[in-house]
Amino acid sequence: MVDLVQNTIDGLMIGSSYGLLALGFTLIFGVMRRLNLSYGPSVMIGGYLGTVVYLQFGAGPLTVAAAVVVGAAVAGIYVERLCFAPMKAGAAIASMVSSFAIWMQLEQAAILVLPRHTYAFPPLATGAPIELGPFAIRVDHLVMLGSALGLAAAVQLVLYRTRFGLALRAIIGNPVAAHLVGVDVRMVMPLAFAGASAIGGVAGFLVLAVDQQITPMFGMWATLKGLIAMMIGGLGSVPGAVLGGLLLGVIEAQSQWYFGPQIRDLVAYFVLFAFLAIRPRGLVGSMSEASTQKA
Amino acid sequence: MFEVSDIVAAYGKIEALKGVSLKVESGRITCLLGPNGAGKTTLMMTIAGILQPRRGSIRLEGAELAGLSPARIVSRGVALVPENRLVFPEMSVRENLLAGAYQRRDRAGIDSDIERMYARFPRLKERRDQMAGTLSGGEQQMLAVARALMSRPRLLLMDEPSLGLAPLIVAEIFDIIAELNRDGTTIFLVEQNAHMALKVAHQFFLMEQGRITFSGTPGQLAEDEVIQRAYLGTRRAVG
Repeated sequence: MVDLVQNTIDGLMIGSSYGLLALGFTLIFGVMRRLNLSYGPSVMIGGYLGTVVYLQFGAGPLTVAAAVVVGAAVAGIYVERLCFAPMKAGAAIASMVSSFAIWMQLEQAAILVLPRHTYAFPPLATGAPIELGPFAIRVDHLVMLGSALGLAAAVQLVLYRTRFGLALRAIIGNPVAAHLVGVDVRMVMPLAFAGASAIGGVAGFLVLAVDQQITPMFGMWATLKGLIAMMIGGLGSVPGAVLGGLLLGVIEAQSQWYFGPQIRDLVAYFVLFAFLAIRPRGLVGSMSEASTQKA
Repeated sequence: MFEVSDIVAAYGKIEALKGVSLKVESGRITCLLGPNGAGKTTLMMTIAGILQPRRGSIRLEGAELAGLSPARIVSRGVALVPENRLVFPEMSVRENLLAGAYQRRDRAGIDSDIERMYARFPRLKERRDQMAGTLSGGEQQMLAVARALMSRPRLLLMDEPSLGLAPLIVAEIFDIIAELNRDGTTIFLVEQNAHMALKVAHQFFLMEQGRITFSGTPGQLAEDEVIQRAYLGTRRAVG
């Protein structure tokens, strides 16, 4: 019982950053109606920029975090300009395939610049775990959870309380109608893309700081986690993305404890499969589903 | 005055508009009738800037609109109530109205305009916090009209406002159109329901296969003939 609760605590902490990854993913999907496979690799580029800033200049965590976020956002805009802006409306497959090509390109670029496989990443917070009766909570996990939930709340505020958020939700609801009410869709889309990649950057920084290392494979890892959490939570939903991430984190922590690390990923894929088969709209109903059905 | 001259628009190689010219008098209701596939919706989308014309000009009070982005066209005073309404389904009625005022920055004016919309469309007021996707077809049509009015347009374009609505609701929508026009809104309307359209319109155009084939005032042509040409096209009418 103690193990079960401890695993759940650990899972929720890690899952909060999965939730952030899914949040960035779902915003891009909602606004563009297209899957951006280069999402994780954009985050990875940010991570590499962070590690360079750390290793070369001995920067502190906040500076490294800023570098990761800026790097991810710039890489995100690069992907948008290359894979999404030039593609005609409806050419979703072309965008997805080209975002796959850019994934490979970004991964190779990272390997060329930093040829050693693994690089150090600064820790988030050090210090003894907090003891709560039989349970222990890592300080860096706590920082991760706090940052992730805070950022998710901020994203929700921007979406529902600002003019930019209104524009985003209008595009998500119906792109043609968004044009018709005067939303400058061509201006908003790259901004949304950069913002979503920056959210991924925050998630990437938190995960890397907990792992204290980065490899070129981090891009694929981030895309996979974000994608699975997004599908579990429900495409296009902010609370869904966070919930999906938390659930994925808990499932992984439990299966790792009881079955070992090899089985852990298998269980995650099985849960994704189960959701796709039984409840394809995910935990929380989708923002975009109703409108895509009507269109 | 609103004037479209010699507009050509195409989807790939297929020309949907083959040189359309027409004039809409300020303060009037002008109606565009024609069979399916004549290019009526294409013309509306081109005026709104969703489609870019290959050539030709679109002028509102002398100012050129062709080539501008949809957002600029809205800020110049043209709003389109699109075919199938296209409300934002996951936004509340109130948020849909706010979105309609997206180009405006006058917070107080927007709030008072929302109140004016609630006064004109009491059912929208009742459902102000309800998601627009849960409204009935007629209510969604009213919301789409109110949303377009929130940009304070000088010219209101409406594409098939009666589409898919019950006869009683259609009558209500046309009452609203006449009322808006009495309050001074210039309206350019595409309609399948020729009978209703001819009752409110001051002027009408017939469009067939991407061209304007007739223009006049209701009563100038027998309604039977208008309806026949609007639904079936000229060639069937002759044969």
